[in-house]
Amino acid sequence: MVYTKKSPALFIIGVIMLAIWYAAGNGMLDGYMEHLAAGKKYKYGAELISIPLYFGAVSVVIGAWQWFGSHTEGAWDYYSSTVAGGMFILLIAMLVRWFIAPEVAVFSMSFGKVGDTGKYIHKLLGLNYVVMGIVTGIIIVNVFRVPEWAQNGVRLSRLGLKTGVILLGTLYSAAELKNLGGLSIIMIGFFVLGSVGLVLWMGSRRGIPNSMGGVLSAGMGVCGVSATVASAPVVQAKSVEIAYTIGTILLWGVGCMFLFPIIGNLLDMSYVQFGAWAGTGILNSAQVAGAALAYQPDGIETLKVAEIFNITRVLVLPIIVLWLAVWYVKREESVTETVNVGRVIFEKFPVFVLGFILLFALSTTGMFAPANHYKGKYFDNSNVKTSKLMTDEQIAVLTANSDKVVREERKAALARLIADRKIASIEDDATIRGLANSKVMGKDSGKILKKAHKAVRHTAKKIKAFRKWITWLFAFGLVGLGMQITISSMKQAGGQPAVIGGVVGLTKAVLSLVVVLLIVSETI
Amino acid sequence: MENKFDRGSALSIFGSDRKEDFMALVFALIIAFAVYAVY
Repeated sequence: MVYTKKSPALFIIGVIMLAIWYAAGNGMLDGYMEHLAAGKKYKYGAELISIPLYFGAVSVVIGAWQWFGSHTEGAWDYYSSTVAGGMFILLIAMLVRWFIAPEVAVFSMSFGKVGDTGKYIHKLLGLNYVVMGIVTGIIIVNVFRVPEWAQNGVRLSRLGLKTGVILLGTLYSAAELKNLGGLSIIMIGFFVLGSVGLVLWMGSRRGIPNSMGGVLSAGMGVCGVSATVASAPVVQAKSVEIAYTIGTILLWGVGCMFLFPIIGNLLDMSYVQFGAWAGTGILNSAQVAGAALAYQPDGIETLKVAEIFNITRVLVLPIIVLWLAVWYVKREESVTETVNVGRVIFEKFPVFVLGFILLFALSTTGMFAPANHYKGKYFDNSNVKTSKLMTDEQIAVLTANSDKVVREERKAALARLIADRKIASIEDDATIRGLANSKVMGKDSGKILKKAHKAVRHTAKKIKAFRKWITWLFAFGLVGLGMQITISSMKQAGGQPAVIGGVVGLTKAVLSLVVVLLIVSETI
Repeated sequence: MENKFDRGSALSIFGSDRKEDFMALVFALIIAFAVYAVY
């Protein structure tokens, strides 16, 4: 079988990419970029004048060869033919990331922020490049069909996702563990394992395929897209099952995000209690933040606690993948046969999860960023530039408004800030952020406090670069994944995932609420 | 998705998951090294 199609498609894709690069580089897209930026700076300007050039040039060269060259069966033909499909997915991912997702954001922002959440509709609904990538892929395959010349390359999407999951390890560091409270580890461990177990049990009772149950359990138990993607290959999940899981998580999260603050207020929960509950019961990071901010719009204490619980979940991911690997083999192999767990782990444990752990370990050594970083952000007040230290005028503004601050810890942190002209410690940084967020000192003081916060928070360049790679690999993988989802496969999967997801999500929310009310006090 | 290819599976161009995992690991390490060296 000869895989390479004699088609001008890849060549044309290359020309389109080069056209985007040329138009962006020569200012032809400036007006449109300004519209997409909605009053801010367009985020992707630098990408537009680099990425399409590299990939466009490669596509034009290989595209010309595919179009005019002669092709014979063999390994070279097999692997090089995937370039056309790969570039097809990449072009769509580019369009989604640079134009479609920002356009949706602009439209969403025209409706204003939602209540006290401080977030726009598209943020709360999780309508980012991830979801739009999948949706675009689904539309392409169902409305236009994946062209023949692209079909082999579409099968690269899972490779992209796995590479992205391995690189995710760089964003975390074991040093972060010392910041996590023992309670968060116990609670998250219990509820993650409990949710996974409950989904698997319900899935087998309701007769859904093991692959669907497996991937849904990871999504409902751990969190969002990363866990779903990481567990999918272990349980041989189909594309439609992955999409259903992501959809279920996002929909469930939207409901929780609005309901949790109402219940929290009814029960008069403390900030720590609510943070612990939201961080345990809600699955998607953005939605956890939305609920926490809705509960406490004038401070970040709730958000900090919710974030701690949210981070803890990621650390459980390798354990869940291991569990699912053993569970899946046990379910799929003959029940009369005794399963050798050691053999299953050796044969089935996904190497890419070991890759995740390897990069997590490297990140912990401080190889990519100071060891105490989280997602590349870290506190350091030792080398604040003189230009970023507070000026006399700024100190005068803060001093004039300092009598408006009531809480003792805020007063003390503010006094240290005024004395040192920079934030004194990581604890003070959190307090000052909360003070700025509370707006009690007025608009001008708020701006100064935020500047002081920015002066001591740094982003590691290497981690920033990793984040970009992960973003692109996920965008690539999810567009390709969407292209493997047909309407008929969606009908086949039916509504069971949503039912199971709803029941498990509700159980987790109620039980975690009870646990939080019983054992969580003001401090962890 | 029906597999219409005589190599790989319906979802992957590789013959086995492990092979795909190793390729992903190789790509990730290449990217990690490049990021480490450049930034």
